[in-house]
Amino acid sequence: MPAILEVDHLTVKYNGKYALEDVSFSVQEGERVAIVGPNGAGKSTLFKALVGLLHPTRGTTNANGAEFGYVTQRSVVDWSFPVTVHDTVMMGRIAKIGWLRWQRPRDREIVRRCLAQVGMLAYANTQIAELSGGQQQRVFIARALAQEATILLMDEPFSGVDAPSTEAILEILDHLRDQNVTVLVSTHDLNLAVERFDRLALLNRQMIAYGLPHEAITPQSLAAAYGGQALWQGEDYALVVGDIDCCGEGGHNHG
Amino acid sequence: MADIIDLLVQPLRYPFMIRALLASLMVGTICAVVGTYVVLRGMAFFGDALAHAILPGVAIAYLLQVNLFWGALIMGLLTAVGIGYVSERGQVKEDTAIGVIFAACFALGVALLSTVQTYSVDLTHILFGNVLGVSGADLWLTAGLGILTLLAVILLYKELLVVSFDPILAATLRLPLNLLNYLLLTLIALAVVVSLQTVGVALMVAMLVTPAATAYLLTRRLWHMMVVGAAVGALSSVAGLYLSFYINVASGAAVVLVCTFFFILAFLFSPSRGAIWMWLRPRLAAKA
Repeated sequence: MPAILEVDHLTVKYNGKYALEDVSFSVQEGERVAIVGPNGAGKSTLFKALVGLLHPTRGTTNANGAEFGYVTQRSVVDWSFPVTVHDTVMMGRIAKIGWLRWQRPRDREIVRRCLAQVGMLAYANTQIAELSGGQQQRVFIARALAQEATILLMDEPFSGVDAPSTEAILEILDHLRDQNVTVLVSTHDLNLAVERFDRLALLNRQMIAYGLPHEAITPQSLAAAYGGQALWQGEDYALVVGDIDCCGEGGHNHG
Repeated sequence: MADIIDLLVQPLRYPFMIRALLASLMVGTICAVVGTYVVLRGMAFFGDALAHAILPGVAIAYLLQVNLFWGALIMGLLTAVGIGYVSERGQVKEDTAIGVIFAACFALGVALLSTVQTYSVDLTHILFGNVLGVSGADLWLTAGLGILTLLAVILLYKELLVVSFDPILAATLRLPLNLLNYLLLTLIALAVVVSLQTVGVALMVAMLVTPAATAYLLTRRLWHMMVVGAAVGALSSVAGLYLSFYINVASGAAVVLVCTFFFILAFLFSPSRGAIWMWLRPRLAAKA
């Protein structure tokens, strides 16, 4: 089966520093990939390079024409913005609607369907400020679905979200796999990444390890990524615990 | 009742008052609609700076004895693009770039104007507006630029919304991010130019920010915020003008003060975000 996403020797320089160096990996259609690494490891940079927001210094990314949906990190969005849940998901339709045109009944139909898919239809007319963190995350997933994206990039979807909401998001991802939607998730939660994802990418500016979660995680690879600061409870060993920043990259938003 | 009608009709006997009212109405509406984005994107300082930075353009137009509009327009567009460019380059922070450019332009404007004999009168008109001196030609220009601005806001509603709310999504959707951002700066510049004669340079930022901020406290959707903001802006402009007619205070200042009055009302009593409800709600809930 051909890969849906191929990243080849990707190098991105950002403000004069290397944010990513020589990163290569490929993803099969429908796979769920967790991208794990410390703060500043280049997880967001990787996503931004994939959607073309940052230009590679060297190397290429090839999505074979698949459309990306970006599920923005919750902490970088102004949640007091005057938009409803329905308005927010409709933003995903903008490119499909086109310039100088208004939303059609079909677009509203798609928005409602995507909201139903993430269990948020009842909140269509609610202002986004009134939602919980998990609900906000689900609205953003619905927005990516409304965009008819086939590769979802989710930037720290589990940070600042409680356990039931994490479970709800993972359940949505299960449904998405049935629709052959490929998902790349950046997260700080190693245990979650190992237990609930098909592939694990251990990133620290360079790709430290990539593969099946249990194979990618070794004491050596973790030490290389975190410098001995990881929190990981394996079945037969536990790794040294440092003072890990659990909700970093600006994740302190509980609004 | 008849007294009130008389009170409202009395000023309309003067053609200059009718022109002033029409100009204020348009300016209040345009500034509030564009100001929605100024408030939501945190660009109040940019708006204030832009208003001050058009001074050299106005001064040159004055010295050349052409309509001040054109000087303001050219200078406003230049400054908007200039500030956009310097902050995009990222060598200094955006508010620093704005501070440097705006003070420099303002100084140049004052220097140019100080070469004129009637310096202090002219400067006062430019700083605080001279709405009673609005001419018929000014009105047409205001209407033309105003319609252009509102059309852009309406036709590009969904694009400007997503660029302001979530630029990363906008980039994913392949929207021309820079172009839309520059367009927004241009629209703010147009609103500033249009309101030069009505409220003047010094108080302009209030027209951009206060009605939109009032609407922000009262609404939950962007276009509602625009409509309510426009209503607040238009109403304040007219009410302020009447006030200045009857109690004989500077018209620009009166308009801004009426605006601020509406803002304070919304700040205290807004059903969803008002300070008084915020204070009352937990206490009522505790009792129930």
